[in-house]
Amino acid sequence: MDRAVATHAPDTAHIQQAPRRSRFSSRGRFVAVMLAPATILLLGLTLYPFLASFWYSFTDYSLLKPNDRDFVGLANYVRLLSGSEFWASFRTTATFCALAVGIETLIALGIALLLQAESRGSGLLRAIYMVPMAITPVAATFTFRLIYSPSLGVLNAFLERIGLPPQAWLSDPRMALPALVLVDVWQWTPFILLIIVGGLSVIPAEPLEAAAIDGASGWRLFWDITLPFLRPFLAIAVLFRFIDAFKTFDIIYVLTGGGPGTSTRTLNLFAFKQGIEFLEMGYASSIAILMLIVVTLATRIFVRATRLMTSGES
Amino acid sequence: MDRTNDRPMQRAPRRELTRRRLMQATAALGAGSLASPFLSRSAFAQDAADYTSAGIDWRMAEGTEIVLGALEHPWTAAIEPLLPQFTELTGITVTLQKSSETEYVTKMPVTLAGGSTTPDVFMVWSIGQAIEGGFLEPLDAYYADPALMDLAWYDEEDIFPGAREFPVWPADGQRYAVAITAEAQTLFMRKDLFEEAGLESPDSMDALYDAAALLKTDDVAGMVMRAKSTADAVDWTAAGFIFSYGAEIIDEAGKAVFDSPEAVAAIDMYGKILRDTGPAGIGNYHWMESLGDFMQGKAAIACDSSNFALDLENPEKSTVVGNVLYGAVPGGDGNPGSPNMWFWLFGMNSKSANKNAGWLFTQWVTSKPTSLLAARNRAALPRTSAWMDEQFREQFGEQAADAALANLAAADGSKFTRAWFNPMWPQVGDALAIAINQVVVGEKDAQTALTEAAVKANEELAS
Repeated sequence: MDRAVATHAPDTAHIQQAPRRSRFSSRGRFVAVMLAPATILLLGLTLYPFLASFWYSFTDYSLLKPNDRDFVGLANYVRLLSGSEFWASFRTTATFCALAVGIETLIALGIALLLQAESRGSGLLRAIYMVPMAITPVAATFTFRLIYSPSLGVLNAFLERIGLPPQAWLSDPRMALPALVLVDVWQWTPFILLIIVGGLSVIPAEPLEAAAIDGASGWRLFWDITLPFLRPFLAIAVLFRFIDAFKTFDIIYVLTGGGPGTSTRTLNLFAFKQGIEFLEMGYASSIAILMLIVVTLATRIFVRATRLMTSGES
Repeated sequence: MDRTNDRPMQRAPRRELTRRRLMQATAALGAGSLASPFLSRSAFAQDAADYTSAGIDWRMAEGTEIVLGALEHPWTAAIEPLLPQFTELTGITVTLQKSSETEYVTKMPVTLAGGSTTPDVFMVWSIGQAIEGGFLEPLDAYYADPALMDLAWYDEEDIFPGAREFPVWPADGQRYAVAITAEAQTLFMRKDLFEEAGLESPDSMDALYDAAALLKTDDVAGMVMRAKSTADAVDWTAAGFIFSYGAEIIDEAGKAVFDSPEAVAAIDMYGKILRDTGPAGIGNYHWMESLGDFMQGKAAIACDSSNFALDLENPEKSTVVGNVLYGAVPGGDGNPGSPNMWFWLFGMNSKSANKNAGWLFTQWVTSKPTSLLAARNRAALPRTSAWMDEQFREQFGEQAADAALANLAAADGSKFTRAWFNPMWPQVGDALAIAINQVVVGEKDAQTALTEAAVKANEELAS
């Protein structure tokens, strides 16, 4: 507004400049004041805990002796990286993430392509597919606890109905992690589906029609046209889900508590045990900081790889 | 760590807890309760005079509001309906904060370690950790102050000797908490199935295994016990096996010794019984699952807290009312049975702003008249008068009550306290729980699992 006035009335610009600067600075102040509460809250809830955790990770801070806190340098990290527990938890976390995100992506891609092909009722189906995502994770997890119940669960009842022996879903070390992955897949496949459906809707029709006229098969159309167009959307979906799956806590805590043995003890549960149960805040903070480093590194590698692939194609 | 308070610190004379004394007292109590006629106390507890006869001013903290931290437990269920009576007596309002056991034992240490002034009074999970962290208010000064406590009215002699000594901290002889429940590990057996098979209560671990294996069918598990890999779950019942094989978890020198040949034999048997005769999914069982299965007729034998009787004999919940034999935990390899024990403790937050009100509540809730009312609300408390009440014995079951008392008498409190009262128990218990769970689900053999866990536990104990 002000600029427009200044452009159309150059002879009065010098008169308006002073009050305009004043108005601008007061507007700037106004904006700053308005943003301040949210900024302070955000910094208080993110930056401060992060900095505090970062500092604690170099101390022997224990809630049993909160006032007796000494700087121990890298001792927590050395203890962590030289022990077997961290690496075992890391492997469990990586397996959980790879299985969950991989399966979710494949299923979501399949459903999205089917929905694209089917115009009748696809809106209703899309809405139904989104329902699991809207359910509170803990509520869904308690339902799965019933489903997995060895004696009362519907899953074992179904197996028995078709003549198969009942399974100890959550208490068999070989079955527990896949059972947790299944819950994550049920709940979060819709998230990836949502992004892919959005991606499919913006693919231009012309290249597909031109290729089809040239005689390209459905598979070739998907592989050479649809998939390259979808790649940035898939990258975002996979990245978000990876970060989320890496932090999964609720379903594991409720369903297995990290057991049987330590077969489902992910890094998050490992940190929870050290911090909340054993009150070793310094040691637990070092786990949290290492988790942050792992996620950041994995994200950067993933983004770079995706960029390379995209630029290679173009 | 600041444990000072505004009360004069007077140290109570150190009471010596010996196994002999505990056994004598509880055995005498068991025999006495059998022989005693019903002592009618009708309308005793309802009478306000039962409280006003105490030589203290119950209204001294009138208008105060206190928060009571508790977990889902028969004790909490029994006390909750009585809270209005406390408010009427004292003018103090009590807000009950209740959560599940697993949630409670993880949430409470963090809350208290964070310096929270609430809850003012709470059920104590790991007393060693709580004392080490300075969460608990020392209580000796309150006991010694006649303005705050009428010892004659409170009648400490009525409390089981073991329960009286239980919260006295060996390091300083100070009392930090008050026992509120009395539980002993007990064997629960289906009467009809045992009679049908011509079996008697097993007198050895081998006989227990044979009975469980014989009674297992497609529909009914031979035996159920806790197996979940958390310190609040499997450790308690498995410890009874370890003790009954003559072994222990932490020795007098403070070293983890649950990898001894005797302990390995005990956990090997624990795992074998559950693997061979337990239901599918036993590896995730806590006490609730064990109780649920046995109550619904899905298991022939269970082994857990004597408190199970309160639900097993409750016709509203149980399908096995009057059909349960209550027995002793047998010994292994020629040793006498040595069941585990538990007294839930109750303490005051050292940071509480309402300590007098909290103390009045502590005294009221553990007093003779309130204990009697709570016992009638289906709670097993550490007071002789409560166990002798006919209504309680009827609800609990005569045979169940006698078995619980006999098992309490057979329990070795020192073995229990050396493990559970150690400030590092959460870490040690976690390592032990994982090892036992790995044995139960067949992931590792007992020797390997316990050796690995003991190395880890000793690292923690040495740190």
